[in-house]
Formats: sequence, C-alpha cells, structure tokens
Amino acid sequence: MSIASGQVLSPPTSARRGRLATSLARLRRQHILFVLATLGPILLLFGVIRVYPILETIRLSFYNYHITQLRRPFIGLENYARLLDDDSFLTALLNTAQFSALSVVITLTLALAVAILLRSIERAAPGFELLFYIPVVTPWVPAAVIWKWIYDPMYGVLNLGLSLFGVPRLGWLQEPNLIVYAIVLVSVWKLLGYFVVIYGVGLRGVPEELLEAAELDGATAWQRLVHVVLPLMRPIILFSVVICTIVCFNVFAPVYVLTASAQGAPAYDFKVLVGEIYQNGFVFYHMGYAGAECVVLLLCVLSLIAVQLLAFRER
Amino acid sequence: MFREKGVRIAAWVVCSVLACFAVAPFVWVIATAFKTPAEINLQPPDFLPAQPTLENFHRILHDEHFLRYIGNSLVIALGSMVSILFTSSLAGFVFAKYRFPLRGLLFLVILATAIIPLEAYMIPLYIMVFKARMLNSYAALIFPMVIMTFGVFFMRQVIMGIPDELLEAARIDGASEFWIYSRIVLHLAKSGMMALGVFAFSEAWANFIWPLVIVSSKDMYTTELGLAVYQRQFFTEYGPVSAGAVISIVPMLLVFALLRRHIMQGIATTGLKG
Repeated sequence: MSIASGQVLSPPTSARRGRLATSLARLRRQHILFVLATLGPILLLFGVIRVYPILETIRLSFYNYHITQLRRPFIGLENYARLLDDDSFLTALLNTAQFSALSVVITLTLALAVAILLRSIERAAPGFELLFYIPVVTPWVPAAVIWKWIYDPMYGVLNLGLSLFGVPRLGWLQEPNLIVYAIVLVSVWKLLGYFVVIYGVGLRGVPEELLEAAELDGATAWQRLVHVVLPLMRPIILFSVVICTIVCFNVFAPVYVLTASAQGAPAYDFKVLVGEIYQNGFVFYHMGYAGAECVVLLLCVLSLIAVQLLAFRER
Repeated sequence: MFREKGVRIAAWVVCSVLACFAVAPFVWVIATAFKTPAEINLQPPDFLPAQPTLENFHRILHDEHFLRYIGNSLVIALGSMVSILFTSSLAGFVFAKYRFPLRGLLFLVILATAIIPLEAYMIPLYIMVFKARMLNSYAALIFPMVIMTFGVFFMRQVIMGIPDELLEAARIDGASEFWIYSRIVLHLAKSGMMALGVFAFSEAWANFIWPLVIVSSKDMYTTELGLAVYQRQFFTEYGPVSAGAVISIVPMLLVFALLRRHIMQGIATTGLKG
C-alpha cells in the first residue's frame, strides 16, 4: 500500500519540484533584470554626476585649462607650484583653517555642553531642541543677510548692545582681525542646533543603570560625565567632528554675503578656499588652476578626516 | 542623566540664553522687514515697528522680481526633491533587499562620494553644462541635484527595517518587483521619505554656489542668488533685504514646522543633516 501510494504520489511531487525550481529560476532572473534595470541608470547618474567630475577635477589640475581656449597643454605640477607663490591662495588657506578650527571647536563643545545640560531637564528638552533647530533650517544666504544687518557698524544692534557696556563702535566686518570672529559667530549660530540634536540622540543611548551604579559608588556628576558618558559618546563625537569639519572647510555663502564686493560694499575682503576656487574658476575661467585648488581642498578635508579617525581610534 | 539641583539650574539658564541667541536674529529681521526706511535708521532703534508697512515686501517682490526668483527656486527644489526621492528609494530598496555581485563595492563607492562636497568637483560639471550649451537653464540648475548619496544610504537604512516576509508573500502572490517597490516599500517607508523629501527640498532651495556659477541672466536667478546679489549692491537698503530674507526663510520654517516629527526621527536614526 505504502509502496503503491509512493509510486502514485512520487511523479507529481518531482514534477511540482521541477516546476517550482523553474519558477524560482524565473523569479531570480526577474530579480536580476529588476536590479539591472533600476540600479543601472542610477549608477550611471552617480558615475556622470559624482565619480567622473571628481576624477576629472584631479586630471584638470595638471593642465592649463581655459574654457574658451582650444589649446589646453599638459603642464604637470605647474599649477601646484604656482599655488605656493599665490598670496591670496595662501591667505585663503590660512583663513579657512583658522575659521574651521574655531568654528568646529566652539560649535561642538557648546553643543555637547548644551546636549548634556538638556538631559537634566528632560521635559523641556524637545522644546529647546526645536528652538535651536530654527537656524539650522535657515539657508546660509538669508542667515548671513540677517547677521550683516546686526553687524552694521552704524545701525547694527550688536554695536548698540555693546555700547551699553561701554564698548566703542567696532567694524565687525571691516576690521581684518574681527571679521573671522564675526563669521565664526554666524556659523556657530547656524550649526549649533544640528549637533545638539545629534548629541542628544547619543546621550539618550547611555544606559541609565551605568550612571546609577557610578552614583552608588560615590562618583560626582563630573566624574560620571568624564568616565561614563564621554567614552560612550566617542563614535557620535567623531561623526560630528567629521561632518562639522567638512561643512566649515567649504564655507562660502556667508563669506560671499558678509565680505567686500566688487561693487564696493564696504567690508574687508576675507578670502576662503572656495571663494578662491570660484574666483579663479568662474570669474577668470582658469579652470586648471582652480582644479588644483579643488584638489588641495579635497586633500585638506580628507587628511583632516584621517587624523580625526586616528585620534578617535579605540585604544 | 544628571539630577543635581545645580546642574538643573545651570541647564535652564544656559539653554534659555542660547535659545534667545538662536531666535533673536529672526525676530529682529522680521521686525525690520515691516519697518519704514526712516524707522530702520532710527538711533536707538525701536524694537517693534511703530507703523508696520508692507512696502518692503512690495519692493522686493515686484521691483526686484523676487516673485520670479521664488518661482525658479520652487521649480528647482521640487524637481530635485522628486528625483532624489525616486532614485534614493529605488537604489536604497535594491541595496537593502537584493543580493547581487559587487553589491558591497558599489555601495561603498556611492558612499565614498558622500564626504566630497559639490564645491570640490563643480568645475567639470560646469564644463559639461557649458559644452551642452545649457547655461541658464532649469535642467542645468537641477542637474547636480538629481541624486543624493546620503539619500541612498538613508533609504537603505529605512527599507532594511521592512521585514523580508512581507516582500516574499507578495512575490508568492505573483507581484512584480516594481509593484512590490511602489506599493509595499514606498508605503511602509513613508515617514523616511518625508524626512528625506524635506531635506532634499531644503538642500536644493538653499544651494547657493551652483546657481551662482551656472546663472548669468537675471530671469533664472534663485531666491538665494537674488538675495545675495541684491544685498551686495553699493548701497544696501536693509528694509527690502530683510523682507527678502524673511521670504527665503519662511518656506523652510513652514515645512519644518509641519513635518518636524518625521525630521527629528530621521536625524535620530541616521544623522540626517538639516
């Protein structure tokens, strides 16, 4: 009986298995077709809009490339050699580094302090985070426009407020020594909220039991912060340092708005890297030279990230 | 986390001061936007406008053609947003739910371009647009913003949270892969899509350097470019400029206010930039 039933049943089973196998293979083929049909065009876009321009920028930096001239000779490292003698480029590099260092350190320290303080007033925290986030959603141009009006030497509220404390009128955007702090203040104002929220996410992940255990052992608030909270926050702090460095090294829009212009808005001509790239590449059309500046910008950002990764490595 | 009384008091004081620091410039610029020229130059200034006027808005919108600029910005931001939502969700879906050769490597290449900012490779992009004789066109303005590296990463994170069994069940019922994407995945990833949409829209709206290099004719200006160029004129009138700044910020604030829960959640899960 069992043999008979086996004989009766076995052919359909194998047939079904076969059909299942072919339909599975068809499904898989469909998958592959779907993956190719969707990912193909998207990867092509990435190739054309991201990968190719990045590589092409590096190639251009070895050429004397002017967009309207047909002769574009290969000149090796000459663009880079010229960069070393270019005073406005060197000034821009120094300015960008100074601005970024100040802005990253102040923004992230303040954000960390605020995020930690917010955890002690948990109920009010979402409201404060929302207020801090308003400057983050403000684009750079109107943000800088607002601050330009605040910094105005004659009618600006900053000088007015300071005069209450007996500080004489200062040309925040006119004094070569002050303008970097003026731009740093704008960027801290603009970026702070984002990092408060990011740090807040990290701090909520610190297990409460650890803190209670440390408290039972008699650790003060400061000791708990330094020995429990901060080590756990290491990955998020690293993420923030990297993001903030990239953003700051590419500073341009606020500088464009707040500094001098060809039409003579009175302010100091504070040079930054991207400003130099814009000037050489799109005003003078020396695109090979500007390409070399882009490569320097890229190398700066990448090496800073590498240093930060090393510094934050788990020991 | 720290419940000591001193810390709590310090928290209230520090956060209140910083909240004022964050918000005060807005209040000031909004107040300025409604003031008459005489009132703007008043020393010491009134905090609130004595006779609120819409003159500044009228001037910036009509005399300075900001209506046209706002329209341009909307076209670019919406175009970029739709394209990024489509490409990011599709690529994110494929990277999250399919196995295929080179998957890891391709994803890594895409991800690696994320830390390289547009400023560092805009020259070849400009040359491409120049050679195609597309300067001063919407297509050129949207072109570098039709994809977003971060968007692919973000949507992959979101879609990885959708259980495989759901997709498998649909497949057994004979659903095509595209149907699964459009009916199941997009539906379940709605919250993530909203956060990414807001982010893509505001990135494109706020972008400044690309319109600056691509656009030379005034009728293609974006709001940001128009505002930056207008305020750089030899004599800056703060009334209309403030009105322009308010106009440029308000759409961002509205979108943020409406969707803040989705956005905050997006930041919390993947560090979505604001």
